[in-house]
Amino acid sequence: MVRMMKVLVVDDEETICVALDAWLSKEGYHVETACSGMDALALLSQKIFDLYLVDIKMPGMDGLDLLARIRELQADATIIMITAHGSIQTAVEAMKRGAADYLCKPFDPETLSMLMERVAATKALRDENVALRGQLMERQEALLDDFVAQSEAMHTILAQIEEVAPSNVPVLISGETGVGKDLVARAIHMRSEHAYGPFVAINCGAQTETLLESELFGHERGAFTGAVKAQRGCLEMANKGTLFLDEVGEISPRMQVSLLRALEEKRITRIGGSQPIEAHFRLISATHRDLRQLMRENQFREDFYYRINVFAIHVPALRERREDIPVLADFFLEKYARETGKPIEGITQKGIGLLMSYPWPGNVRELRNVMERAVVLSRGRMIGAEELCFLQGGGEVCDLGILTLREAEIRYIKAALDTHGGNITKAARQLGIDRVTLARKMKRYHIEKE
Amino acid sequence: MEVNPNSRPHLDLIPLGNLDPLAVSIMGAHLQAVLGLRTQIHPVRSNPEYAFMAMRNQFDASKIIKALATETDGAPFKLGVLQSDLSIPILTYVYGESQLGGKAAVVSLHRLFDIDRQLVYQRAAKIGVHEVGHLLGLEHCWQAGCLMRFSKQLEQLDRLALDFCDACRYEIVRRLKAIS
Repeated sequence: MVRMMKVLVVDDEETICVALDAWLSKEGYHVETACSGMDALALLSQKIFDLYLVDIKMPGMDGLDLLARIRELQADATIIMITAHGSIQTAVEAMKRGAADYLCKPFDPETLSMLMERVAATKALRDENVALRGQLMERQEALLDDFVAQSEAMHTILAQIEEVAPSNVPVLISGETGVGKDLVARAIHMRSEHAYGPFVAINCGAQTETLLESELFGHERGAFTGAVKAQRGCLEMANKGTLFLDEVGEISPRMQVSLLRALEEKRITRIGGSQPIEAHFRLISATHRDLRQLMRENQFREDFYYRINVFAIHVPALRERREDIPVLADFFLEKYARETGKPIEGITQKGIGLLMSYPWPGNVRELRNVMERAVVLSRGRMIGAEELCFLQGGGEVCDLGILTLREAEIRYIKAALDTHGGNITKAARQLGIDRVTLARKMKRYHIEKE
Repeated sequence: MEVNPNSRPHLDLIPLGNLDPLAVSIMGAHLQAVLGLRTQIHPVRSNPEYAFMAMRNQFDASKIIKALATETDGAPFKLGVLQSDLSIPILTYVYGESQLGGKAAVVSLHRLFDIDRQLVYQRAAKIGVHEVGHLLGLEHCWQAGCLMRFSKQLEQLDRLALDFCDACRYEIVRRLKAIS
């Protein structure tokens, strides 16, 4: 890192330029020199440098003027002013105007060496930061690419995301299971001012109340039996980022009170602790339940509802936006074909017809699983009715997100046998296993061939 | 490295002003042993008054180097040694200074002082070999323990071995072959 640093020395005294050039070159820096501000600007029009060592007192354009001009041309430039003992006040003024540091002539070699090392280390960190931010931007773009939408409803949602993301208001995302509420939440986070902060997601419906409280607020060591060490909670971890409360409708009224207080005070106290901890985050909640109905049933607090529902986004079910089905199916097909390395080119008209007529109770997640299964089963270049026949009649669909491996295997095997009229050899070929293995599995799962 | 004493010397080691002759001899011996440079120790010359900076009570290393580099007779490399303090106009002091890939270098024993004379001789040898490494075109090395690593303080210099890392040693051999 240090060896590649490009340094420009600007000083009207040739001996200073020569001495610094010689000294820094031995350190492995690429050094160029300029004997006036104008010469420096001429060089700067052709290339940029990582570090500028600029003498304050120069005839014509002085160091302070040059500092301003360099900053105009290269906002992130690191500039160190060189000064004589008498002009330290000017050097301090230069630092107020953006210089990174100053050196008094003559320099102590130890000071110069340490300063150069510090600048190099800062540059390395800055470069790494830029690279990481670039990767984050790529991920952000990739995430938005996942928003495959043809329907007006989804375009409206994309517009809502753009609208609400820059503000800091809490967002409530509603919609059936599998419509992609978490994708919407992540897209808001990625486009918000908290994009470089953490995105902490927690499924409030997947745990008991006590566990959820510990997960949300964290706990101190010894707060309860089994709390062998202190642990940060999600609210604390989401500081300066986004907290995503999935299945917020499952949170108990008692917990809602604690959360409401934390949201209003922007600080929390760990279970068993007494010290308040700052927790500034953007809140995004999601639910598949009708929160108004829950309020009427006194299962959801009104004050908490209005606190989390400042901006509402409803993601419609897939059956309500059928024009998205072909593009989503194509998207998943391409994704899984790429992953499995199969040369599948598309879906036949008959296949599209089946996809369009199916009610999709599991929404986009179900469609994704269906396409994954179809790609696995496919032997040709097109996905057709044969691979999707299990959708006929709106019935048997393997939602891999909710099935055990055993259940999934049983369903796949049954579907393959149905497709081939009970022919084990053909079904085994379709499943990518030999007929003996299939027969063994049929015996184990008590599957009869019809 | 092996040295043939009958061949033409590679380096003239030139004492400048009054200084411990043993320090010069030890430096010369290490330049021969560590770098494989045929080294000739010259008779003591007077202090380089032309390079004295009265305001700082130091000698300007860059002026001494410039003067040594103009000498056309003798060995292709010149290394001046003096007891007085050295600096260059931009730095408060230097232990030594040399032309990167050039002809002349100079070192001072002034700041190497310790009550342990052995340590002083060892430091002098290290500084001398380091500066001649620059004459051979080597930059500072980032390898821990390599003699071409820049030492900010004497303690760091003391921790270095009187040897180079593999990469620097390879470069030295390559460059010595080129000048032989």
